[in-house]
Amino acid sequence: MSAAGTTDRTEAVNWDKLAARSRTVRRAKATGIYAFLIAVSVPIVLPYFWLVTIAFSAKTGVAETHVLWRSVIVLVPTMIGFWAAAMLARSRRQRWLGMALVAVAGLVAFLLLVGPSLHLENFIFLVEPDFASVLRSKVGTVSGAVQFPNVWHAFGNSILLAGTQTVIVVTVASLAAYYLSRFDFPGRGSMLRSLLVLHAFPVLTLIVPLFLLLYYIGLLDSLFGVILVLVAFELPFAIFIMKGFFDAVPWDIEMSALTDGASRRQAFLKVVLPQATNGILAISVFTFIRGWEEYIFVFTFLIRNTNWTMSLYMFYVREDVMGVDYGVVSAVGVFYLVPSLLLYMAAQRYLLQMSVGGVKG
Amino acid sequence: MARIEFRNIAKRFGDVEVIPGMDLDIADGEFVALLGPSGCGKSTSLLILAGIYLPSGGDLLFDGHVVNDVEAKDRNVGIVFQSYALYPHMTVRDNIMFPLRFKKTPRDEAIRRVNDAAALVQVGELLDRKPSELSGGQQQRVALARALVKQPQLLLLDEPLSNLDATLRLSMRTEIKSLQDELGVTTILVTHDQIEATTMADRIICMRAGRIEQIGTPDDLYDRPSSLFVAGFIGSPPINLVHGAAANNTVDVAGVPFPADGANGSITVGLRPEHLVFAEAGLPGRIAQIEPMGREVLYVVSTDIGYVRVLEQGSVAGHAAGEKVQIGFDPAKSLVFDATTEKLIDGAHVRPPA
Repeated sequence: MSAAGTTDRTEAVNWDKLAARSRTVRRAKATGIYAFLIAVSVPIVLPYFWLVTIAFSAKTGVAETHVLWRSVIVLVPTMIGFWAAAMLARSRRQRWLGMALVAVAGLVAFLLLVGPSLHLENFIFLVEPDFASVLRSKVGTVSGAVQFPNVWHAFGNSILLAGTQTVIVVTVASLAAYYLSRFDFPGRGSMLRSLLVLHAFPVLTLIVPLFLLLYYIGLLDSLFGVILVLVAFELPFAIFIMKGFFDAVPWDIEMSALTDGASRRQAFLKVVLPQATNGILAISVFTFIRGWEEYIFVFTFLIRNTNWTMSLYMFYVREDVMGVDYGVVSAVGVFYLVPSLLLYMAAQRYLLQMSVGGVKG
Repeated sequence: MARIEFRNIAKRFGDVEVIPGMDLDIADGEFVALLGPSGCGKSTSLLILAGIYLPSGGDLLFDGHVVNDVEAKDRNVGIVFQSYALYPHMTVRDNIMFPLRFKKTPRDEAIRRVNDAAALVQVGELLDRKPSELSGGQQQRVALARALVKQPQLLLLDEPLSNLDATLRLSMRTEIKSLQDELGVTTILVTHDQIEATTMADRIICMRAGRIEQIGTPDDLYDRPSSLFVAGFIGSPPINLVHGAAANNTVDVAGVPFPADGANGSITVGLRPEHLVFAEAGLPGRIAQIEPMGREVLYVVSTDIGYVRVLEQGSVAGHAAGEKVQIGFDPAKSLVFDATTEKLIDGAHVRPPA
């Protein structure tokens, strides 16, 4: 009896010790991992942070960096504060409370240290097409090289380019991928392989021949010419992604639709395509953003400033007023960044699904 | 409702000949089972009937008209797949209504027919759910309702019960059978499960490697299997098959002489476990294993001709493992097959060794 009791007690002590040790190890590991992630993310986040800070704080003709350092003094302790709050909290409630406190403290510090320097003057380009002359006159230089179009015109061009390209790519890729997924035809295998090879070409290698091609067919300096080139480059990848989504749609469903009285086209539109909605959303977002950020082709193939897209606008702003006012350059950057950022945030869910290969939720 | 005829229907995929040439008649309102192992061409036949596959040769007739070139959408065939193949993005109501959308059925009538079909298979209260929110059995019923709502002239069931659990399978079996009786629709069931085929179908078509091995009622196939393949495929637990050489009214099986009638040369003897009994005299052996199966007990008996399965009625084993027994049987129920052609030899029987 006493022997049995002793055994029980020793075991009980051991269990507690083991549990405590494992808790400590888990905590230490999590602490380490988060510390590492924060250390790595600071240099990644910092440029974006500075871009925004400069856009809202820099003044024409003044090159001062104090405000940047003051903002870093706020940013880094705030991130460490979040980390500490998460690590030290004993419950979910404590964690949220701690995070909220850190956030409020960070906001107050930001308003005190950086707030007085913030202003909207750098966004002059949104309302004044000839902002470059205005800026130059402020610092006394008058000669300027670039005649800027209205920024909203460039914005519209970018939307038109990215949007048209997206519509074409999604339509063609869906049809082509469906055919590749469902029909066996001679050369199907080599076609699939060549899709991947096409994607392997660095776009710069084709710049000269494409320039000549567009020149001869009369589409040089036209948005439509650039759209065609972009579509050609984007299609292989989009087809490949869509094929994966169509492959995941069972044959039975399609056969069922056919016996239910649908034609092949109706079965595709009403039964198969809805199963691939997530794939369509994913390639739409990717293609749109790809068109939105396109720089090399528009730079090479578009000449008149009425054809400028946002990336060209940004490029020429940088060329023209960089030395005069880097605040405006940053402001244009922020303006250029916002649409694609919003799109990414809205579509995150579908983009994640694409990376796991079209698994249905 | 339709009468179906296969006239020398063939199907090849590239160089692979799945069905070499099949003739078949199915009467109006009949319930027929296509039975065979995986890859025997039974599902291919079904898809030819549905119009998904075009036959590589031969003619398919519905009510005496060749329908080879009639498209799937115009054949008015209802089909239920093993996976149920419900449209995941539609509610149950839209799923069942889907076939009616292509028939230009007036809205009021479509709704009424959907409700009727749903009531028929007892899914009336599930109409607003999505297929992913249904159990396997419910999905099965919805698939059945979708196949029936268009009042098909032919109902095709492709292994409809394979994905259900044992209890549900039993009840769905009864329900499908009574539904078919009620509606009188010509029905073809594809299955590899002989119990499903024998319990549900009026007639069974046993297939092997694209050819029809035997057509008959469940009793025909059980009592008079035309070949070794059918004998082995039908019946559970499986039939005992032993090889022997017959001469002078005696079959020599591994040195044991069985008196025989009408057999000669190299033969295979088939004895169903349920036809074997423990008797005073007969084939001697020793019980090696006992498998209680509920209301029957299966004995595996080690004899000079190999292991022999004997099925005995009753829930309690009347014999113990290791016990020495004699196995007897009714000669009229023994089956004798030609070992080379594998065909049943009519009128040939063996008797238990004395």
